[in-house]
Amino acid sequence: MNIIRYILRRMVLSAFVVVGVTFLVFTVAQVVPSDPAALYAGPRPSAEQIAKARVELNLDAPLPTRFLTFASAMATGDFGVSYKSRRLILEDLKAYLPATLELAVFSTAIALLFGVPLGVMAAARQGRWFDRLASLSAIASVAMPTFFLAMLLQLIFSQWLGVMPLSGRTSREVGITDPVAQVTGFLLIDSLLAGRPAAFGNAMLHLILPALTLASYPAGVAMRLTRSAMIEILQRRHITAARALGLSQRRILFGHALPNAMGPALTVIGLSFAFALTGAVLVEIIFAWPGLGRYVSEAILAKDFPVIAAVTMVVTICYVVMNLIIDVAQALVDPRVALT
Amino acid sequence: MKRRDFMKTSVLAALATAASSGFNLAMAQGNGIFTLAYPTSFPDLDPATSFSNDGAVLANAYEGLTRYISATETEPSRIEPLLAQSWEVSEDGLTWTFKLREGVTFHDGEALTAAAVKGSIERTRQIGGGASFIWSPVVSIEAPDAMTVVFVLSEPQPLDLIASAGFAAWIQSPASLSQDNAWFNAGNDAGTGPFRIVRYEPGQRLVMERVEGYWGNVPEGAFQTVAFEIVEDVTLIQNMLESGQADWGYSVPFENLDLMKENPDLKVVVNPSFETLFGLYNTKRAPLDNPKVRLALSMAFPYDDVIMAGTAGLGTRAKGVVPTGIWGHDADAPIPPTDLEAAAAILAEEGVSGLELVMTYSTTQEISALAGELWKANLETLGVTLTLQPMAWEAQWQMAKSDPASAQDIFVMYWWPTYVTPHDYLLSLFRSEDEPLFNLGYYSNPKFDEVLDEAARLSGVDRPKAEEMFIEAQRIVVEDAAAVFMLDRPNVHIIRSDIKGYTDNPAYGHVTFVGDMSR
Repeated sequence: MNIIRYILRRMVLSAFVVVGVTFLVFTVAQVVPSDPAALYAGPRPSAEQIAKARVELNLDAPLPTRFLTFASAMATGDFGVSYKSRRLILEDLKAYLPATLELAVFSTAIALLFGVPLGVMAAARQGRWFDRLASLSAIASVAMPTFFLAMLLQLIFSQWLGVMPLSGRTSREVGITDPVAQVTGFLLIDSLLAGRPAAFGNAMLHLILPALTLASYPAGVAMRLTRSAMIEILQRRHITAARALGLSQRRILFGHALPNAMGPALTVIGLSFAFALTGAVLVEIIFAWPGLGRYVSEAILAKDFPVIAAVTMVVTICYVVMNLIIDVAQALVDPRVALT
Repeated sequence: MKRRDFMKTSVLAALATAASSGFNLAMAQGNGIFTLAYPTSFPDLDPATSFSNDGAVLANAYEGLTRYISATETEPSRIEPLLAQSWEVSEDGLTWTFKLREGVTFHDGEALTAAAVKGSIERTRQIGGGASFIWSPVVSIEAPDAMTVVFVLSEPQPLDLIASAGFAAWIQSPASLSQDNAWFNAGNDAGTGPFRIVRYEPGQRLVMERVEGYWGNVPEGAFQTVAFEIVEDVTLIQNMLESGQADWGYSVPFENLDLMKENPDLKVVVNPSFETLFGLYNTKRAPLDNPKVRLALSMAFPYDDVIMAGTAGLGTRAKGVVPTGIWGHDADAPIPPTDLEAAAAILAEEGVSGLELVMTYSTTQEISALAGELWKANLETLGVTLTLQPMAWEAQWQMAKSDPASAQDIFVMYWWPTYVTPHDYLLSLFRSEDEPLFNLGYYSNPKFDEVLDEAARLSGVDRPKAEEMFIEAQRIVVEDAAAVFMLDRPNVHIIRSDIKGYTDNPAYGHVTFVGDMSR
């Protein structure tokens, strides 16, 4: 019962966050020194064009009326058109969001698959060379700036060894002359749906370097957090008892200790996933990855408010949902969480 | 084979396959593909409203009635027939008659007719977006027969030049006239150009394919496909050019150009552009309302240093606001040289000391930042404090438009023409305005206005005389030191050496006419 009440409470709180962000986004747009009508009217508008745009955008209406229009549009997912391009924002999101999600999912998987097992193994060999090497690698991966790692990987794997593509989501022969039909927008899924294993392999190869770059930070943090949590857990009595009962080292580490030590690492990785949705701007720029980060950074520079608002809402919802999932997962793993 | 060995072998095999499958030169150059590494996306593909970098795409899919060919060292500028085969203007300059080219079809199969031309321009005017204002002198458009279009104007204007514009002058098929902006932006086109848009993936690429039966010249070995790869990172653009993954690119930092010039696979093409950088003085605020003070400040500007440090010496000294290559350019303009001693003397004579000024510029303009820093150093020796204020363009413009009394002292910006005429520069930047729009130095001089208006009127009937008067108008602005004319930006494009038929046309910015090119 506790757990259901806990989940409901978290959901209500999340709804408040979303409403709060809607209000904040609208308020910020009013304070920023910019004239939406001039922006909407084009790069070099005449005075008449600006006046016409003002009417079209209903900018002379009272603030509360405009807020209500804005909030109801956000609630229905009607993000309107970009001031700069006049393209439907929903259409743009359909193009950019899957590319970012694909990258975020893949990099999170890499972070989980490398960070957590390395943390477990380092804790099991505490103080030995493996632990030191793994800890050093983790520190290096956290400390290395993303843009530097991205360029380093490009230099080594694309330019020197020539085994990885330099940039983009697909190579030219797939992207230009024989594109994969878009169904979901996720290239890996779409190429499988189209029955094209070569295109799948091609998309996968393009994903590796940006995903590795993006995974570097959360993998390092996850490794460090898992390691310290594991060291603490491994000293507990139930682990000593498990050892006394003659259980194998692998079973003790991954079956009994790890589930108790996963909490902090899961939180970091979950939040890194949400962060990757817009925080990956540098990675997206360096690898020419057509993602949400690039989309919104262009919009910010152009003061393209509807795009900024739409992306902020989408990312807020992703954050809130991700937080909720992490909270629920932790409550399920550790019932004490739900009581607090 | 052990499991571990099997995995090792698989990974190595996968890597080897990747290496042999390409990401290299051979693949990049195959299949008649011309690849442009383009640093920005294409916000609007609607021929009626496009007013940005999308011109690079539209110029390959659409055509206008005429095309402007810029002056070179050996040849003067000229206007070439494109969809119009010939044209004539009435003596009063108010009626322009264009005869259309026979045998031209749109990509949807419809034939080019006078009705299509009339419909295209009327759609552009009716939507009223982008650069539609270029057609403002047009009172009516008539189609007396299938291949003749007659424009009646309210005042004499150079309609052959207006029709050559890289924005708002594209002719589209009658079937597309009822389509909305979203239809075009979904990657559809309706032009007569050598290529059709087949796919637009925002933020990633735009792909075009050659149209069968194009009316114009198709060179031997012509490209079948054009791919615009949208790449923001300038280092990546350079890598793509060097590795052959791109055939054309720009925005590579000036300091890297020497290295690229040494590469036999690449050609660095440098030409003047029609973009000029200048700072408008706030003429409404003392002591900048005094032309002598403004002149002194301009004499403190380190022109040569900025050209050298900001453009690796490739830029040119601006002679007023109308750059070289455009008719009406004033090669002998009496622009002041850098002379700190003379500047100090003028300031002393005018009793100006301890002057504090604010210069605003757009955050995206690195050259403006550099110019500001170097100018600031020079001004310090004269006891003038210059505060540099980088701003988002929107905010910079907004502040300047609000109230001259509280606005900046110097407004730095680039200008490029909507169509190739000196009028565009002079009208927008210096003609008196009741409400500031782009005259952001708030300059007002009735004599200048009078000469400019007369020059504009003559440009439709007597272009040589008009040119003289445009130069006269510019001299007034230069003598009034209404602005500091910093530099004319160079156009630097890098292409692969095996590309044939490439020419730069500064009238169309970073547009590449791929139809004329081959490998």
